[in-house]
Amino acid sequence: MYESLAIVLAAAHFAAALSLLNGLLTVFGQAKIAATAIESIARQPEAADSIRGIMFVGLAMGETSGIYGLLIAIIMLFANPLVDIFVRMLG
Amino acid sequence: MDLNIKNLWVVYIGGVEIWITETIVNTWIIMAILILLAVIARIRMTRFSLVPRGFQNVIETVVELFDNFAAGALGSSLSYIAPWFFMVFAFILSSSLFSVFGLRAPTADWATTFTLAFATFILMLFMGFRHRKGGYLKSFFGPHPIFFPLNLIGELAKPVSLSFRLFGNMLSGTIILAIYYQLTPWLMQIGIPALMHAFFDVVIGALQTYIFVFISFMYIRGAAADN
Repeated sequence: MYESLAIVLAAAHFAAALSLLNGLLTVFGQAKIAATAIESIARQPEAADSIRGIMFVGLAMGETSGIYGLLIAIIMLFANPLVDIFVRMLG
Repeated sequence: MDLNIKNLWVVYIGGVEIWITETIVNTWIIMAILILLAVIARIRMTRFSLVPRGFQNVIETVVELFDNFAAGALGSSLSYIAPWFFMVFAFILSSSLFSVFGLRAPTADWATTFTLAFATFILMLFMGFRHRKGGYLKSFFGPHPIFFPLNLIGELAKPVSLSFRLFGNMLSGTIILAIYYQLTPWLMQIGIPALMHAFFDVVIGALQTYIFVFISFMYIRGAAADN
């Protein structure tokens, strides 16, 4: 009875860890944005202000997928509906 | 500081129970401080002179800085909505700054950020219909009417992604600090949390405030400016 609950909880924690792995690709995308912005500023220092503004917006856009992964991890850990259903089934 | 949002008390209005949570109380505190500042600024405004000095200088610098930012991001024909976003900017920034003092940031609750993002969404629709009239409706039918569902989903995703971005950033800072406070002994809680607060609340908070307002401006400009 409790062993199966433990397995469900372990699976939820693994799912949270897996959903945080998308940070790898998010960081690659953000690194590309920052590197390209630095290259453009080095090539054209007079456009630095507008490039910096666009870079921040691009970073925020790229960060969105990482944030979605974080939210899925938080839902898995703290507000998992499947674990609630399982606990109610156990009684 | 805690992981969950505490429910302080429950009010019954017409048989409907309304939960007064920590978020709402902290929002009231921040609102009271901002309203007090605004009233002080309004009272002092009667004594403002042509050549700014002291307090007047600070107020004028802040407002002018924001107006220039709005005019640059929105274009001068749309920048008359800047006062609303000045309020949003002040609220989000002060809510992340007050979490330094141990108040749970109201923006670490999805209800708050979704309300702000939904206001942006309504304002975007309103500005689109006001400035482009039928042309805005036509832009939903894209290059071809077959793209209508895609365009609709794209528009509806805007408030969701805008609110999740701010919420996720603020909540991650809150959770990391709550875990730190719960796991470490009191000796470790003397100077080190100040640095973490400086990063997660001040730096990330200010950056996300800027990004929230800037992306709201971009959405409104995309809807209202004629291409």
